[in-house]
Amino acid sequence: MSAAFGTTATAIATLLALAACDRGVAPPSAPPLTPAPPTAGPTKPSLLTSADVDARLEAAWKAAGVTPTAPADDATWLRRAWLDVLGTIPPPEVTVRFLAQPQGDPAKRSRMIGEIIASPRWADHWTAYWDDVWMGNDARRPDIDHGAFRSWLHDVLARDVPYSEIVTQLLTATGQNSDGGPKRESEENEGSGPPGASVNGAVNWTLKYQETPQDMAGTASRTLLGVQVQCAQCHDHKTEKWTQKDFQSFAAAFMRTRLVQLDAGGAPKGAVKRVEVRNLDRSAPRFAKMGDLAPVASAEPKALDGTDLGAGDGVRVALARWVTAPENPWFARALVNRMWGHFLGRGFVDPVDDFRASNPGTTPELMDALASDFVASGYDLKHLARVIVGTEAYARSAAPLDDATQKADPEAKLWERFRVAPLGPDELLDALVTATKLDAIVRATGRLDLAQVRFRVRERYGFLFDVDDVTDQSGYEGTIPQALALLNGSVAATGTSVLPGSALAEVLGEGGDDKAKIEALYLRALSRLPTPDEVSRWAQFLVDAQAQPEAPVPPPAASPQPERARRDKAQKRGKGQQPDPLTNLEGRAGNMRATARVRAYEDLFWTLLNSSEFVLNH
Amino acid sequence: MDDLSRRTLIRVGVSSAFGALAARFLAPSLARAGALPAPKAHACILLWLNGGPSHLDTFDPKPGRPTGGPFKAIKTRAPGMMLSEHLPLLSERADKLALVRSMSSKEGNHPRAQYYVHTGYAPNPTVAHPSLGGWACARLGDPTSELPAFVSIGGPSFGAGFLGVQNGPFVLQKAGAPPADTNLPPGVDRARFERRRAALDSADERFARATGDAKVDGRRDVYAKAIRLMQTPKLDAFDVSGDSESVRRAYGDTDFGRGCLVARRLVERGAKFVEVFLDGWDTHQNNFERTKGLMGTLDPAFAGLLDDLAARRLLGSTLVACMGEFGRTPHINANDGRDHWPQAWSAALAGGGIRGGVVHGATDEDGAKVVGAPTRAPDLLATMATLLGLDPAHTEMSPAGRPISVTDDGAPIPAIMT
Repeated sequence: MSAAFGTTATAIATLLALAACDRGVAPPSAPPLTPAPPTAGPTKPSLLTSADVDARLEAAWKAAGVTPTAPADDATWLRRAWLDVLGTIPPPEVTVRFLAQPQGDPAKRSRMIGEIIASPRWADHWTAYWDDVWMGNDARRPDIDHGAFRSWLHDVLARDVPYSEIVTQLLTATGQNSDGGPKRESEENEGSGPPGASVNGAVNWTLKYQETPQDMAGTASRTLLGVQVQCAQCHDHKTEKWTQKDFQSFAAAFMRTRLVQLDAGGAPKGAVKRVEVRNLDRSAPRFAKMGDLAPVASAEPKALDGTDLGAGDGVRVALARWVTAPENPWFARALVNRMWGHFLGRGFVDPVDDFRASNPGTTPELMDALASDFVASGYDLKHLARVIVGTEAYARSAAPLDDATQKADPEAKLWERFRVAPLGPDELLDALVTATKLDAIVRATGRLDLAQVRFRVRERYGFLFDVDDVTDQSGYEGTIPQALALLNGSVAATGTSVLPGSALAEVLGEGGDDKAKIEALYLRALSRLPTPDEVSRWAQFLVDAQAQPEAPVPPPAASPQPERARRDKAQKRGKGQQPDPLTNLEGRAGNMRATARVRAYEDLFWTLLNSSEFVLNH
Repeated sequence: MDDLSRRTLIRVGVSSAFGALAARFLAPSLARAGALPAPKAHACILLWLNGGPSHLDTFDPKPGRPTGGPFKAIKTRAPGMMLSEHLPLLSERADKLALVRSMSSKEGNHPRAQYYVHTGYAPNPTVAHPSLGGWACARLGDPTSELPAFVSIGGPSFGAGFLGVQNGPFVLQKAGAPPADTNLPPGVDRARFERRRAALDSADERFARATGDAKVDGRRDVYAKAIRLMQTPKLDAFDVSGDSESVRRAYGDTDFGRGCLVARRLVERGAKFVEVFLDGWDTHQNNFERTKGLMGTLDPAFAGLLDDLAARRLLGSTLVACMGEFGRTPHINANDGRDHWPQAWSAALAGGGIRGGVVHGATDEDGAKVVGAPTRAPDLLATMATLLGLDPAHTEMSPAGRPISVTDDGAPIPAIMT
């Protein structure tokens, strides 16, 4: 496992350069960077290894009489690991380099894991992940600076701050929420910019719940401890031991903040209202006006297990200390469970945030071992990812074995077969952007704002593709609007047009025959090489397309189709709904789309990006 | 508003003893009494007032009381039914309305209450209950129809839970324009689209065989449905310009009004359940001004819908329901607002199988407590289900192996049914 940092400096530099390109930032022109300093990683010999995890799982499979599926091939594994750790597909250069290494090389995958974990995209992806868990989409309050929150998150993740410390900062944050920039910009900011010097972005989480401490308590308990207590808000929990009094005492700990308005005279229009959050030594007076909070405000703050959280203005610190204490039975388990569920498709305890006496989970001893290990590692998220992703279990194929030999787990709880799942909205969008070089296309127009485009597209994809992974169905979680977005939507349409800057234009511009181009497009879209059968089918498709009678090249975007024009008009009439910034961009490919052959390549690329193989994590 | 997202909402665990207790006090269920009556309604339009509308300022006014607020109450066409002065158009059509003033529940938390009123069950992590729209889609929808059977306009509604995403709502974000992405992109004509579709189909078929996973086949089905939707002439359901200027004006120049018009068009073309979303009723601050504004949107739209359905002889076969997730406190807070009040609230129904001009149940003089005919959301849903031809006692097996019926032991309300 310590081979993680055996990667060459050049590979790291390439990776960083590629990642930087993806984010629209100029790659560093300095000499190749030295490998990233080791994290608080596996220097102690007593920490868990992937082999340890595998041994325990194998024992569980044996005990249940369950057969694991075959190992996934290199290309499949690579794509899966990139998606799960970094939230996007591997760039073609990475795929080619990985596949070129000898098949049987045992250290090949662990080296790649080291590369992946050292990538700057780690912080980008996990910022989006934790932002979704803690802030969600509902940051409409005028005093929430979502960009500042993400900047804080990105910063702590990029600096490998231990998870316990991240959570402590979240729970005890004081200070100024924002430097008062435009709210719109704060929404678009994905967090990769540095936080403002006087700003503590973490307070924005507290501000989100400034009027609803019960919701804050419920969310904190659910996301940080995996324990659902919020039903005890109104009455004693029916099946678990939480009483309403327990809940009120817990919620009381979340009422100890004072808000000082810094823009009392009124903030400039459209700007984030600046607020300073300070600790308070009693329940804040603003809650006194809310009738239903009176019993909570007067309760003594106590943790969920009854631990007294003290008095004065140290309650929030005491709460954070209780939450992140190594003795806290839920904190490490909840995180480990969540990560296991993220990578393996289903947590030990399912749903991942529903630890209950009546829901003990699968192989709890393995979960406990990982939890202790996580604590021993210093709450090192990278260590945990390295351990999980390095297991043989993570590398199982999604395809079943022949019926005769395989016995699957009838309850589908033992991870003996990789679980096919649709990509989440962020992953799908990032995969499309990576495959098509959409960022480069947008930049090449010279007139669209990349951050704005990303934000608006992200909003739309977030709404469309937010999958309810609620039910354990074997059916597909997909809707008609999702299918329509990929079939006709502007991201797929723009991305598969041979526009300046696009991946497609690059591939077509390179030398080589049809076979080379087909391979290049497969690498970009599906992160693998095509089979000989696929090559011959597509070669035939290209030949057939050129034999088509030459269809008139449609006019460029100057005269959009009537339905689109009416739709755009309708959109402009309404308030609050921004038109699609990518509309009609694909129409500008007019000149470049001169030949049937080029159009056929667009069709090929479009097909690959609409295929199940692209849209699913398998 | 709470931040529980759709996907996490299901995970909150509780089991309500209230339901079992209440069932003992309710009149015997029509469905259990014998044969299910013939369905009166072919479709349902649900006007969803999101946020918990103040019953005291809308459907259950208490003028003159200390907490009654500034609005007057006006007589309506239904004797004995008074409504807020800011619902004048609806008041003229009150002879078509059945007003239930005795709704009561225990859920004062938005997502939990919304879930409860849509599905008839309290949220429970072991089962994802289908909403009434989901049941309607699964049991009444025609899978070969090119238009979706369950449509939600302006809001996400609630899905079909364990009945599967294919029975969930087709969400139209904004009424008045065709659904997003139903047009071919520039440069792609029908012939080219066909070539692409054929290539995609064969690629997916190969992948389905290689992975042996049902998800891929499911996905291909969804794609086929999406393509059918793109190509159907019935897509004009979403185009309000197909109606005359005067009809459009009657509904009101608002997104919600247009949404109600599109709902009528969808129902005409075979949709089974259409929900139209009107947000903004969570008036912890500035309750009176905001509620008045919202009624200015609701009144013409609801009245316009009733008129339009009647004019097209569809009112008798279309069930129209109007409600939110709870009511609001009689007590007026320091911000001139009212807070959540699930203990007493109102719901209004009209159309297929509904007895018009009727008030069912009542609240005390301040609208704080239900004093007659307490009604639970499951009872309301059982009424709606029965009118649609769905047996409230019918069950489907959840994935965990429990039989789940349309509502949590709800009993239809004979007093508001014809």
